[in-house]
Amino acid sequence: MSLVDSMSMAKPNLQARERILAKLHGRELLNCFQCMKCTSGCTALKLLELKPHEIEKLVNLSLVDELVSSDIIWTCATCLKCVQRCPQMASPYHVIMVLRNLAVEREAKVPEAFMKAVSLVLESGLAETTQKITTRTMQVCERESLKLPKIGSPRESFQAVFLKALEEK
Amino acid sequence: MKLAVFWGCRILTSQYAYEMSIREVLPKLGVELIDLREALCCGDPVKSVNEFAANYLGARVLALVNLTGLCDVLVPCNRCHFVISEAKHLLETDEKTRAKVEDLLKEENLKYNPNVRIWHTIDLLHDRVGLDRIKKSVSKPLKGLRLAVHYGCQILRYSSLGRVDDAENPRKLDELIKTIGAETLDYAERLDCCGSALMYGHVDSALSLASSKLKAIQALNVDGLIISCPDCGYMFDAKQKDGASVIGAKLSLPVLYYTQLLGLTVGIAHDKLGLYLNQSPIDQFLTKVPV
Repeated sequence: MSLVDSMSMAKPNLQARERILAKLHGRELLNCFQCMKCTSGCTALKLLELKPHEIEKLVNLSLVDELVSSDIIWTCATCLKCVQRCPQMASPYHVIMVLRNLAVEREAKVPEAFMKAVSLVLESGLAETTQKITTRTMQVCERESLKLPKIGSPRESFQAVFLKALEEK
Repeated sequence: MKLAVFWGCRILTSQYAYEMSIREVLPKLGVELIDLREALCCGDPVKSVNEFAANYLGARVLALVNLTGLCDVLVPCNRCHFVISEAKHLLETDEKTRAKVEDLLKEENLKYNPNVRIWHTIDLLHDRVGLDRIKKSVSKPLKGLRLAVHYGCQILRYSSLGRVDDAENPRKLDELIKTIGAETLDYAERLDCCGSALMYGHVDSALSLASSKLKAIQALNVDGLIISCPDCGYMFDAKQKDGASVIGAKLSLPVLYYTQLLGLTVGIAHDKLGLYLNQSPIDQFLTKVPV
Protein backbone atom coordinates (compact mmCIF):
# COMPACT_ATOMS: atom_id res chain seq x y z
CA MET A 1 0.00 0.00 0.00
CA SER A 2 1.39 3.35 -0.92
CA LEU A 3 1.65 6.27 1.43
CA VAL A 4 -1.17 8.11 -0.33
CA ASP A 5 -3.56 5.15 0.10
CA SER A 6 -3.14 5.24 3.85
CA MET A 7 -4.35 8.85 3.82
CA SER A 8 -7.75 8.04 2.33
CA MET A 9 -9.52 8.08 5.70
CA ALA A 10 -7.16 10.59 7.31
CA LYS A 11 -8.28 13.74 9.06
CA PRO A 12 -6.28 16.92 8.62
CA ASN A 13 -4.40 18.21 11.64
CA LEU A 14 -4.15 21.95 11.09
CA GLN A 15 -2.34 22.61 14.33
CA ALA A 16 0.42 20.14 13.48
CA ARG A 17 0.83 21.73 10.06
CA GLU A 18 1.23 25.17 11.62
CA ARG A 19 3.90 23.78 13.95
CA ILE A 20 5.79 22.26 11.05
CA LEU A 21 5.69 25.53 9.10
CA ALA A 22 6.96 27.40 12.15
CA LYS A 23 9.91 25.02 12.47
CA LEU A 24 11.02 25.41 8.86
CA HIS A 25 12.83 28.68 9.59
CA GLY A 26 11.20 30.54 6.72
CA ARG A 27 11.46 27.83 4.04
CA GLU A 28 8.45 28.03 1.77
CA LEU A 29 6.67 24.68 1.95
CA LEU A 30 3.49 26.39 0.72
CA ASN A 31 5.15 27.18 -2.60
CA CYS A 32 5.56 23.54 -3.64
CA PHE A 33 3.90 23.15 -7.04
CA GLN A 34 4.50 19.40 -7.33
CA CYS A 35 7.08 19.51 -10.11
CA MET A 36 8.59 16.31 -8.69
CA LYS A 37 12.20 17.33 -9.25
CA CYS A 38 12.83 16.17 -5.69
CA THR A 39 11.36 12.73 -6.28
CA SER A 40 13.04 12.22 -9.64
CA GLY A 41 16.47 12.63 -8.09
CA CYS A 42 15.75 11.08 -4.69
CA THR A 43 18.41 8.63 -3.46
CA ALA A 44 15.81 6.67 -1.49
CA LEU A 45 13.19 6.49 -4.27
CA LYS A 46 14.35 3.33 -6.00
CA LEU A 47 15.01 1.10 -3.01
CA LEU A 48 12.70 2.51 -0.37
CA GLU A 49 9.99 4.27 -2.38
CA LEU A 50 10.44 7.63 -0.73
CA LYS A 51 8.60 10.26 -2.75
CA PRO A 52 9.43 13.65 -1.27
CA HIS A 53 6.82 15.53 -3.34
CA GLU A 54 4.08 13.41 -1.74
CA ILE A 55 5.35 14.34 1.69
CA GLU A 56 5.26 18.01 0.74
CA LYS A 57 1.68 17.68 -0.52
CA LEU A 58 0.46 15.75 2.51
CA VAL A 59 1.88 18.29 4.94
CA ASN A 60 0.36 21.09 2.88
CA LEU A 61 -2.99 19.30 3.18
CA SER A 62 -2.38 19.01 6.95
CA LEU A 63 -2.39 15.20 6.73
CA VAL A 64 0.42 15.00 9.22
CA ASP A 65 -0.50 12.34 11.76
CA GLU A 66 -0.17 9.34 9.44
CA LEU A 67 3.11 10.69 8.11
CA VAL A 68 4.57 11.06 11.57
CA SER A 69 3.86 7.44 12.44
CA SER A 70 4.92 6.15 9.03
CA ASP A 71 8.22 4.38 8.37
CA ILE A 72 8.65 6.42 5.22
CA ILE A 73 10.09 9.50 6.96
CA TRP A 74 13.02 7.35 8.15
CA THR A 75 14.03 6.32 4.62
CA CYS A 76 15.63 9.66 3.69
CA ALA A 77 19.36 9.27 2.98
CA THR A 78 19.95 12.99 3.70
CA CYS A 79 21.83 13.39 0.40
CA LEU A 80 20.34 16.92 0.12
CA LYS A 81 19.67 16.68 -3.63
CA CYS A 82 16.05 17.76 -3.05
CA VAL A 83 17.14 20.89 -1.20
CA GLN A 84 19.57 21.75 -3.96
CA ARG A 85 17.19 21.16 -6.86
CA CYS A 86 13.86 22.47 -5.53
CA PRO A 87 12.94 25.53 -7.61
CA GLN A 88 10.57 26.78 -4.90
CA MET A 89 12.78 26.59 -1.79
CA ALA A 90 10.32 24.09 -0.33
CA SER A 91 13.07 21.68 0.76
CA PRO A 92 11.60 18.22 1.47
CA TYR A 93 14.70 17.29 3.51
CA HIS A 94 13.94 19.94 6.11
CA VAL A 95 10.26 18.93 6.24
CA ILE A 96 11.30 15.31 6.80
CA MET A 97 13.60 16.33 9.66
CA VAL A 98 10.76 18.22 11.36
CA LEU A 99 8.49 15.18 10.90
CA ARG A 100 11.15 12.95 12.48
CA ASN A 101 11.39 15.32 15.45
CA LEU A 102 7.61 15.15 15.82
CA ALA A 103 7.73 11.35 15.71
CA VAL A 104 10.23 11.35 18.58
CA GLU A 105 8.08 13.83 20.52
CA ARG A 106 4.96 11.69 20.06
CA GLU A 107 6.88 8.52 20.92
CA ALA A 108 6.07 6.99 17.54
CA LYS A 109 8.27 4.26 16.07
CA VAL A 110 11.81 5.60 15.70
CA PRO A 111 14.78 3.52 14.49
CA GLU A 112 16.62 2.52 17.66
CA ALA A 113 20.03 3.59 16.37
CA PHE A 114 19.09 7.28 16.53
CA MET A 115 18.11 7.10 20.18
CA LYS A 116 21.22 5.08 20.92
CA ALA A 117 23.37 7.74 19.26
CA VAL A 118 21.81 10.44 21.46
CA SER A 119 22.43 8.43 24.63
CA LEU A 120 26.03 7.84 23.58
CA VAL A 121 26.49 11.59 23.10
CA LEU A 122 25.14 12.12 26.61
CA GLU A 123 27.55 9.54 28.00
CA SER A 124 30.75 10.40 26.17
CA GLY A 125 30.20 13.42 23.92
CA LEU A 126 30.57 11.19 20.84
CA ALA A 127 27.79 9.37 18.97
CA GLU A 128 29.96 6.30 18.38
CA THR A 129 32.29 4.09 20.40
CA THR A 130 35.91 3.41 19.42
CA GLN A 131 36.38 0.35 17.23
CA LYS A 132 39.28 -2.05 16.91
CA ILE A 133 40.28 -2.42 13.28
CA THR A 134 41.62 -5.67 11.86
CA THR A 135 44.08 -4.98 9.07
CA ARG A 136 44.26 -6.87 5.76
CA THR A 137 47.02 -8.96 7.32
CA MET A 138 44.90 -9.76 10.38
CA GLN A 139 46.54 -7.46 12.90
CA VAL A 140 44.25 -5.80 15.40
CA CYS A 141 44.78 -2.04 15.76
CA GLU A 142 43.33 0.63 18.00
CA ARG A 143 44.08 4.30 18.63
CA GLU A 144 46.80 3.58 21.17
CA SER A 145 48.73 1.08 19.05
CA LEU A 146 48.44 3.48 16.09
CA LYS A 147 49.98 6.19 18.29
CA LEU A 148 46.98 8.44 17.80
CA PRO A 149 46.27 10.98 20.58
CA LYS A 150 43.82 10.17 23.36
CA ILE A 151 40.25 11.36 22.79
CA GLY A 152 39.43 14.30 25.09
CA SER A 153 36.14 13.88 26.95
CA PRO A 154 33.73 16.78 27.42
CA ARG A 155 33.77 18.68 30.69
CA GLU A 156 31.40 17.45 33.40
CA SER A 157 28.87 20.23 32.90
CA PHE A 158 28.17 19.11 29.31
CA GLN A 159 25.69 16.35 30.12
CA ALA A 160 23.28 18.57 32.05
CA VAL A 161 23.35 21.32 29.43
CA PHE A 162 22.86 18.88 26.56
CA LEU A 163 19.86 17.40 28.42
CA LYS A 164 18.41 20.90 28.63
CA ALA A 165 18.91 21.36 24.89
CA LEU A 166 17.06 18.09 24.27
CA GLU A 167 14.05 19.39 26.21
CA GLU A 168 13.57 22.22 23.73
CA LYS A 169 10.52 21.58 21.55
CA MET B 1 48.98 28.52 8.46
CA LYS B 2 47.40 27.40 11.72
CA LEU B 3 43.94 25.86 12.05
CA ALA B 4 41.93 24.18 14.76
CA VAL B 5 40.75 20.70 13.78
CA PHE B 6 37.42 19.09 14.62
CA TRP B 7 37.41 15.37 13.82
CA GLY B 8 33.83 14.38 14.67
CA CYS B 9 32.93 10.81 15.72
CA ARG B 10 33.58 8.50 12.83
CA ILE B 11 37.19 9.52 12.19
CA LEU B 12 38.11 9.29 15.87
CA THR B 13 36.39 5.95 16.43
CA SER B 14 37.13 3.94 13.27
CA GLN B 15 38.40 5.79 10.20
CA TYR B 16 41.91 6.06 11.62
CA ALA B 17 43.60 6.07 8.21
CA TYR B 18 41.99 9.41 7.35
CA GLU B 19 43.13 10.93 10.65
CA MET B 20 46.68 9.54 10.35
CA SER B 21 47.11 10.72 6.78
CA ILE B 22 45.78 14.21 7.55
CA ARG B 23 48.07 14.51 10.58
CA GLU B 24 51.05 13.46 8.44
CA VAL B 25 50.45 15.26 5.18
CA LEU B 26 49.18 18.72 6.17
CA PRO B 27 52.28 19.74 8.17
CA LYS B 28 54.36 18.92 5.05
CA LEU B 29 52.33 21.61 3.25
CA GLY B 30 52.77 24.23 5.93
CA VAL B 31 49.49 23.62 7.78
CA GLU B 32 49.65 23.29 11.54
CA LEU B 33 46.63 21.62 13.20
CA ILE B 34 45.54 22.26 16.78
CA ASP B 35 43.21 19.63 18.31
CA LEU B 36 40.20 20.85 20.28
CA ARG B 37 40.41 20.05 23.97
CA GLU B 38 37.12 18.13 23.96
CA ALA B 39 35.87 15.64 21.41
CA LEU B 40 32.20 16.11 20.57
CA CYS B 41 29.44 14.94 18.23
CA CYS B 42 28.65 17.58 15.59
CA GLY B 43 24.93 16.90 16.03
CA ASP B 44 24.31 14.83 12.90
CA PRO B 45 22.35 11.86 14.31
CA VAL B 46 20.76 14.19 16.87
CA LYS B 47 19.17 16.24 14.07
CA SER B 48 16.58 13.53 13.46
CA VAL B 49 15.69 13.43 17.15
CA ASN B 50 15.79 17.10 18.11
CA GLU B 51 16.96 19.73 15.69
CA PHE B 52 17.53 22.37 18.32
CA ALA B 53 19.83 20.09 20.31
CA ALA B 54 21.76 19.31 17.10
CA ASN B 55 22.24 22.99 16.37
CA TYR B 56 23.36 23.49 19.95
CA LEU B 57 26.05 20.82 19.44
CA GLY B 58 27.16 22.44 16.17
CA ALA B 59 27.42 25.81 17.90
CA ARG B 60 29.28 24.21 20.80
CA VAL B 61 31.90 22.94 18.35
CA LEU B 62 32.42 26.51 17.12
CA ALA B 63 32.60 27.69 20.73
CA LEU B 64 35.33 25.09 21.39
CA VAL B 65 37.21 26.42 18.36
CA ASN B 66 36.89 29.88 19.90
CA LEU B 67 38.77 28.59 22.97
CA THR B 68 41.84 27.92 20.83
CA GLY B 69 41.95 31.58 19.80
CA LEU B 70 41.94 30.52 16.14
CA CYS B 71 39.45 31.70 13.51
CA ASP B 72 39.64 28.72 11.15
CA VAL B 73 38.62 25.14 11.76
CA LEU B 74 39.27 22.08 9.60
CA VAL B 75 36.32 19.68 9.56
CA PRO B 76 37.43 16.70 7.43
CA CYS B 77 34.08 14.87 7.64
CA ASN B 78 31.40 15.84 5.10
CA ARG B 79 28.50 15.25 7.48
CA CYS B 80 30.07 17.25 10.32
CA HIS B 81 30.96 19.99 7.83
CA PHE B 82 27.32 20.28 6.76
CA VAL B 83 25.77 20.08 10.23
CA ILE B 84 28.11 22.68 11.70
CA SER B 85 27.70 24.96 8.67
CA GLU B 86 23.92 24.74 8.94
CA ALA B 87 24.01 25.44 12.69
CA LYS B 88 26.18 28.49 11.99
CA HIS B 89 23.81 29.68 9.27
CA LEU B 90 20.80 29.28 11.54
CA LEU B 91 22.44 31.16 14.39
CA GLU B 92 23.22 33.99 12.01
CA THR B 93 19.70 34.21 10.58
CA ASP B 94 17.47 33.32 13.53
CA GLU B 95 17.93 35.56 16.55
CA LYS B 96 15.63 33.55 18.80
CA THR B 97 17.54 30.32 18.29
CA ARG B 98 20.82 32.14 18.69
CA ALA B 99 19.77 33.65 22.03
CA LYS B 100 18.69 30.25 23.34
CA VAL B 101 21.90 28.55 22.18
CA GLU B 102 24.08 31.31 23.60
CA ASP B 103 22.33 30.96 26.97
CA LEU B 104 23.12 27.26 27.05
CA LEU B 105 26.74 27.87 26.06
CA LYS B 106 27.06 30.51 28.77
CA GLU B 107 26.28 27.87 31.40
CA GLU B 108 29.62 26.29 30.50
CA ASN B 109 31.43 29.60 30.08
CA LEU B 110 31.58 29.02 26.33
CA LYS B 111 31.12 31.67 23.71
CA TYR B 112 29.95 31.32 20.12
CA ASN B 113 32.17 33.15 17.68
CA PRO B 114 30.43 33.98 14.37
CA ASN B 115 33.76 34.69 12.68
CA VAL B 116 35.04 31.11 12.73
CA ARG B 117 35.50 29.84 9.17
CA ILE B 118 34.80 26.19 8.44
CA TRP B 119 37.12 24.32 6.06
CA HIS B 120 37.02 20.85 4.57
CA THR B 121 40.12 18.91 3.50
CA ILE B 122 39.29 19.58 -0.16
CA ASP B 123 38.85 23.36 -0.09
CA LEU B 124 41.66 23.80 2.42
CA LEU B 125 44.05 22.04 0.03
CA HIS B 126 42.61 23.51 -3.16
CA ASP B 127 41.86 27.10 -2.13
CA ARG B 128 44.26 27.84 0.72
CA VAL B 129 47.31 25.63 0.34
CA GLY B 130 46.90 25.87 -3.43
CA LEU B 131 47.71 23.61 -6.36
CA ASP B 132 51.10 25.27 -6.94
CA ARG B 133 52.33 24.61 -3.43
CA ILE B 134 51.12 21.01 -3.66
CA LYS B 135 52.82 20.50 -7.01
CA LYS B 136 56.10 21.81 -5.62
CA SER B 137 55.90 19.46 -2.63
CA VAL B 138 55.37 16.35 -4.75
CA SER B 139 58.57 14.33 -5.04
CA LYS B 140 57.05 11.15 -6.48
CA PRO B 141 54.27 12.10 -8.90
CA LEU B 142 51.79 9.41 -9.92
CA LYS B 143 52.02 8.04 -13.44
CA GLY B 144 49.49 6.41 -15.72
CA LEU B 145 46.78 5.97 -13.09
CA ARG B 146 43.09 6.42 -13.96
CA LEU B 147 41.01 7.19 -10.90
CA ALA B 148 37.35 7.64 -10.09
CA VAL B 149 36.45 10.41 -7.66
CA HIS B 150 33.63 10.46 -5.11
CA TYR B 151 32.99 13.83 -3.46
CA GLY B 152 30.16 12.78 -1.15
CA CYS B 153 26.90 14.64 -0.76
CA GLN B 154 27.11 17.06 2.07
CA ILE B 155 30.11 19.17 1.11
CA LEU B 156 28.41 19.90 -2.24
CA ARG B 157 24.82 20.56 -1.29
CA TYR B 158 23.01 22.78 -0.76
CA SER B 159 24.67 25.75 -2.45
CA SER B 160 22.78 28.56 -0.70
CA LEU B 161 24.49 27.43 2.51
CA GLY B 162 27.90 28.04 0.94
CA ARG B 163 29.52 24.71 0.12
CA VAL B 164 32.97 23.46 -0.72
CA ASP B 165 32.47 23.06 -4.48
CA ASP B 166 29.84 23.32 -7.23
CA ALA B 167 26.79 21.17 -6.47
CA GLU B 168 26.28 19.64 -9.90
CA ASN B 169 29.77 19.76 -11.41
CA PRO B 170 32.42 19.72 -8.68
CA ARG B 171 36.03 19.92 -9.92
CA LYS B 172 38.30 20.63 -6.95
CA LEU B 173 39.11 17.05 -5.98
CA ASP B 174 39.65 16.19 -9.65
CA GLU B 175 42.12 19.07 -9.92
CA LEU B 176 43.88 18.02 -6.73
CA ILE B 177 44.36 14.54 -8.18
CA LYS B 178 45.57 15.84 -11.55
CA THR B 179 48.08 18.04 -9.72
CA ILE B 180 49.78 14.97 -8.26
CA GLY B 181 49.94 13.23 -11.64
CA ALA B 182 46.90 10.98 -12.06
CA GLU B 183 43.98 11.14 -14.44
CA THR B 184 40.35 11.31 -13.28
CA LEU B 185 37.27 10.50 -15.28
CA ASP B 186 33.64 11.55 -15.31
CA TYR B 187 31.03 8.85 -14.87
CA ALA B 188 27.26 8.79 -14.64
CA GLU B 189 27.10 7.82 -10.95
CA ARG B 190 29.58 10.49 -9.88
CA LEU B 191 27.15 12.38 -7.64
CA ASP B 192 25.38 9.33 -6.24
CA CYS B 193 25.19 9.01 -2.47
CA CYS B 194 27.13 6.32 -0.54
CA GLY B 195 24.04 5.64 1.58
CA SER B 196 25.76 5.85 4.96
CA ALA B 197 22.92 7.78 6.64
CA LEU B 198 20.61 4.83 5.97
CA MET B 199 22.80 2.57 8.16
CA TYR B 200 20.71 3.83 11.10
CA GLY B 201 17.57 2.03 10.03
CA HIS B 202 17.89 0.43 6.58
CA VAL B 203 21.20 -1.40 6.50
CA ASP B 204 20.57 -3.50 3.38
CA SER B 205 19.44 -0.49 1.36
CA ALA B 206 22.46 1.47 2.51
CA LEU B 207 24.84 -1.32 1.51
CA SER B 208 23.02 -1.78 -1.76
CA LEU B 209 23.45 1.91 -2.63
CA ALA B 210 27.17 1.83 -1.84
CA SER B 211 27.90 -1.41 -3.66
CA SER B 212 25.85 -0.48 -6.74
CA LYS B 213 28.03 2.58 -7.12
CA LEU B 214 31.19 0.51 -6.59
CA LYS B 215 30.02 -1.99 -9.19
CA ALA B 216 29.45 0.79 -11.74
CA ILE B 217 32.89 2.26 -11.03
CA GLN B 218 34.58 -1.12 -11.24
CA ALA B 219 33.10 -1.61 -14.71
CA LEU B 220 35.00 1.50 -15.86
CA ASN B 221 38.32 -0.31 -15.38
CA VAL B 222 39.76 2.38 -13.16
CA ASP B 223 42.75 1.81 -10.88
CA GLY B 224 40.91 2.98 -7.80
CA LEU B 225 38.37 5.22 -6.11
CA ILE B 226 39.43 8.36 -4.23
CA ILE B 227 37.31 9.73 -1.39
CA SER B 228 37.57 12.36 1.30
CA CYS B 229 34.78 11.67 3.79
CA PRO B 230 34.94 9.13 6.65
CA ASP B 231 31.32 8.05 6.11
CA CYS B 232 31.98 7.33 2.45
CA GLY B 233 35.18 5.57 3.53
CA TYR B 234 33.20 3.41 5.91
CA MET B 235 30.70 2.44 3.20
CA PHE B 236 33.05 2.00 0.22
CA ASP B 237 36.12 0.66 2.00
CA ALA B 238 35.18 -0.98 5.32
CA LYS B 239 31.81 -2.28 4.09
CA GLN B 240 32.80 -3.21 0.54
CA LYS B 241 32.61 -6.97 1.18
CA ASP B 242 29.26 -6.71 2.99
CA GLY B 243 27.89 -4.59 0.16
CA ALA B 244 29.08 -7.04 -2.46
CA SER B 245 27.17 -9.87 -0.79
CA VAL B 246 23.98 -7.79 -0.61
CA ILE B 247 23.89 -7.21 -4.37
CA GLY B 248 25.58 -10.48 -5.28
CA ALA B 249 28.53 -8.91 -7.08
CA LYS B 250 32.23 -9.53 -6.94
CA LEU B 251 33.81 -6.28 -5.83
CA SER B 252 37.53 -5.62 -5.53
CA LEU B 253 37.97 -1.89 -5.96
CA PRO B 254 40.85 -0.16 -4.16
CA VAL B 255 39.51 2.79 -2.13
CA LEU B 256 41.87 5.41 -0.70
CA TYR B 257 41.53 8.75 1.00
CA TYR B 258 42.91 11.64 -1.02
CA THR B 259 45.21 12.51 1.87
CA GLN B 260 46.68 8.98 1.70
CA LEU B 261 47.33 9.36 -2.03
CA LEU B 262 48.81 12.82 -1.55
CA GLY B 263 50.98 11.48 1.29
CA LEU B 264 52.44 8.83 -1.03
CA THR B 265 53.45 11.46 -3.58
CA VAL B 266 55.16 13.70 -1.04
CA GLY B 267 57.17 10.72 0.17
CA ILE B 268 55.51 9.72 3.44
CA ALA B 269 55.94 6.05 4.47
CA HIS B 270 53.02 3.65 3.97
CA ASP B 271 52.52 2.83 7.63
CA LYS B 272 52.36 6.49 8.62
CA LEU B 273 49.50 6.96 6.17
CA GLY B 274 47.60 4.04 7.68
CA LEU B 275 47.61 2.21 4.35
CA TYR B 276 47.48 -1.17 6.09
CA LEU B 277 44.14 -0.13 7.61
CA ASN B 278 42.23 0.09 4.32
CA GLN B 279 39.90 -2.90 4.09
CA SER B 280 39.56 -2.78 0.31
CA PRO B 281 42.24 -4.60 -1.74
CA ILE B 282 44.78 -1.79 -2.24
CA ASP B 283 47.99 -3.88 -2.37
CA GLN B 284 48.02 -4.16 -6.14
CA PHE B 285 47.23 -0.44 -6.42
CA LEU B 286 50.25 0.37 -4.26
CA THR B 287 52.57 -1.48 -6.63
CA LYS B 288 51.61 1.06 -9.33
CA VAL B 289 52.71 3.99 -7.17
CA PRO B 290 56.33 5.15 -7.60
CA VAL B 291 58.48 4.41 -4.53
